[in-house]
Amino acid sequence: MKILVTDDSRVMRQIVIRTLRQAGYDDHDIVQAEDGAQCLAMVGSESPDLVLSDWNMPNMSGIECLEALRASGSQVKFGFVTSEGSPEMREKAANAGALFLIAKPFNEDTFKDALDGVIS
Amino acid sequence: MSTPISELLDAETVQSIADEVWPTLVGDGEAFVPLPVAPPAEAVSAWVDIRGPWNGSVVLTCAPATAAALTESVLMTRPPTVVDDEDVKDALGELANVLGGNIKSVLPGESRLGLPQIGSAPPTGSLDDVCRVAGQWRGQFLTITVQGAAVAPHAERIEEKPL
Repeated sequence: MKILVTDDSRVMRQIVIRTLRQAGYDDHDIVQAEDGAQCLAMVGSESPDLVLSDWNMPNMSGIECLEALRASGSQVKFGFVTSEGSPEMREKAANAGALFLIAKPFNEDTFKDALDGVIS
Repeated sequence: MSTPISELLDAETVQSIADEVWPTLVGDGEAFVPLPVAPPAEAVSAWVDIRGPWNGSVVLTCAPATAAALTESVLMTRPPTVVDDEDVKDALGELANVLGGNIKSVLPGESRLGLPQIGSAPPTGSLDDVCRVAGQWRGQFLTITVQGAAVAPHAERIEEKPL
């Protein structure tokens, strides 16, 4: 499957991709976006099976991107990987249609817990 | 005036957050050790702002060489690969971002986190509005400072902060 990793930090995108591999999800195509706006465009052009997105980004935040995706009719699987994991944000993410929210810092076990059943 | 950070957060909480962040982000077996060492002649800071019932910043400060070493550790680079300035800004900013996000989550009420910034640390507010853990990483100076804003931001500026 194809996974779109979205984060304005290149370092964090690299860590997310590394953690995916460490968690055993190493047989998938990975594409990257730098913010919500690019993610929104790439869901259209790349047709990923799953989006892993930061929340707090310039241009368009992750939650704005998810809301725009759902408003446009896209039902792409979407999960957050973010430095903030408050109950309010988890609720907001779930209400917008996110499958999960992984709070940073994370490790491969955190990824497995969130992604088992989501990634085939 | 809002409640100072010294009444909202203690050094032990900051340390416990660092204890989670270091092994997962900086690397296996890595730790931020809360034993102060002499400050370097030159320092660089990365920080994120928190806006909400409490206003201020979470600031990470170390020597430029320590910032570069942290970046190499975060990226797991091995010689001859070298990290460039953009990598260092990015990695140090992400460390401050993850520390800041976790510190924000233990503060009361709903707050917003700004995007990471790099440079000279922002000025601190009143002296009782500071929670600082002076410590070291691999024997080098490193501090985590949670400090109140020097001037309370206007309400309209809060609206400008992206989520």
